[in-house]
Amino acid sequence: MNKILRNRVAYMVFVVPALVLYITFYLIPLFKSLQYSVTSWDGITAPVYNGVDNFIRALSDEKFWVAFKNNIYFVLFSVFIQVPIIIVVSILVSGVKRLLDFYKLTVFMPSILSTASIAVIWQFIYSPDAGLLNQILKAAGLETWTRLWLGDEKTAFLSVLVTNGWQWTGFYIVLVLAGIFAIPKEILEAGEIDGAVGWRKAWLLTIPLIRPVIVVTMLLSITGAMKALDIVLIMTNGGPFGSSEVMATYMYQQAYALGDFGYANAIAIIITVFTAILSLIYHLVNKKTSKEAEY
Amino acid sequence: MKLRAQSRILSHVVLLVYVVIVVFPLLFVFISSFKNNTEIFNDPWGLPSRLSWDNYANALSSSHIGTYFVNSLYISIVSTVTTILLSTAIAYAVTRMKFPTLSKLVLGLLLLSILIPPASLLIPLYIMIKDFGIYNTPFALMIPYAAFGIPLTTFVIAAFLKSMPTELEEAGIMDGLSTYGLLGRIVIPLTMPTLVTVFILNFIGNWNEYILANLFLSNQELRTLPVAVVSFADKFNMNYGALTAAITISVVPVIIIYGILQKQIIEGVTAGSVKG
Repeated sequence: MNKILRNRVAYMVFVVPALVLYITFYLIPLFKSLQYSVTSWDGITAPVYNGVDNFIRALSDEKFWVAFKNNIYFVLFSVFIQVPIIIVVSILVSGVKRLLDFYKLTVFMPSILSTASIAVIWQFIYSPDAGLLNQILKAAGLETWTRLWLGDEKTAFLSVLVTNGWQWTGFYIVLVLAGIFAIPKEILEAGEIDGAVGWRKAWLLTIPLIRPVIVVTMLLSITGAMKALDIVLIMTNGGPFGSSEVMATYMYQQAYALGDFGYANAIAIIITVFTAILSLIYHLVNKKTSKEAEY
Repeated sequence: MKLRAQSRILSHVVLLVYVVIVVFPLLFVFISSFKNNTEIFNDPWGLPSRLSWDNYANALSSSHIGTYFVNSLYISIVSTVTTILLSTAIAYAVTRMKFPTLSKLVLGLLLLSILIPPASLLIPLYIMIKDFGIYNTPFALMIPYAAFGIPLTTFVIAAFLKSMPTELEEAGIMDGLSTYGLLGRIVIPLTMPTLVTVFILNFIGNWNEYILANLFLSNQELRTLPVAVVSFADKFNMNYGALTAAITISVVPVIIIYGILQKQIIEGVTAGSVKG
């Protein structure tokens, strides 16, 4: 028996191909990125080592800070607007019996569509004349509220955030819903006997019991917000005047529009470090909360 | 009891509002795709005066949407199957075979991927693809897609294997199966439901991928659907009829497949995210 499961050749055959592919396309690019990030490089001639210049440059680059702030807004929007909506809707869905599957099916739908399609659909919704949003405002008599949603510095990034929220909220609702349905019935029944009904029940029982899945939701939305790229790239391309730039799009512009590959890689490293730190913090918090939430 | 009925109605009202917010934009795009531009501007809310397929003819004739569809399909399938074959093998080796130290090392290496956002690998990857000479070929997408799927897929399959009793494999060994025989004739058949789940998860991810597809292919003939949709949006800038038709063509197949496989899709997509 053990001979079969100690077959070295077979182990190599199973492990090596996947590992080689993974290392080549995951880990080596990361190390290359680190290497390039300390160089000045146009992508054509040989990279020239310039120490931490790129990182110092990022610190004093106003446009980079705009992008960084937008990532932070992205995180705040996810945590303080999306997550509460997710929790409220999930609790509502879990309370209904009729149409449960219908609600689940519909709210989940946007998360399987491609971000590209969604970005284009919402460009159409935000478009100045034929767009759905301005049409609704006109129909409601709020003509003065109509604007160039994606062409206005004040609203461009918020419009992207709303679109991103539209795409992903339903996905998290289904995730949280699974957490709610996993709560043992006895606990909820005992709570009801003790007088926890309606919002009291939600606040005192359901929410504390689904804390682990809420933490996962937060973690996923935070890392999602840090690495956001395609939705911004397609909808506004960072504009107008860089007002909706996020770190990843800024990196993209530096590399492919301006040919500054050294600086772009430094930004890539900054994104990686931030995402890693946030993920680590949340994995630690998650471990703690899941211990506390044991019942 | 009366209070309960009231709160239930309130729940339904809130949920229906949410459903409308989700469905209405899609429906609006769908309905607009049958209107001409004047109708879209003058009568945005009404149904089209007649069912006109002009926009579709326009969108189909001025582009190769059929080709893009096929490109998306085979690139997604080849990379997904590659990911699953490699991940099943590695998951089997690290959970079942008796090389504990080595296996821990392998899993630890794969775990690193959680900390690395793929977007930040974009530039070195772009340079590697060019160096390997696969820029502007389908391999420029298939190989990275296959590689990016490996860590998560391995974790999902390994988690399933750990929960599976080993009796059947032991019986297999008694019957004289080799290491490969065990994998092929016992483990893979038993893991099938999980494999379907990870297939869907990876397939949807690859099917929808935009950034690499946009960057690593410059030849129009090789384009995938997401890239095509975005380029339609640029091309049909003010021609909303053709634009909405193009969006509909790209979105409807996904929604139909979702309608059929909803349970597996929801399970697959959520399982993937949580394990990750």
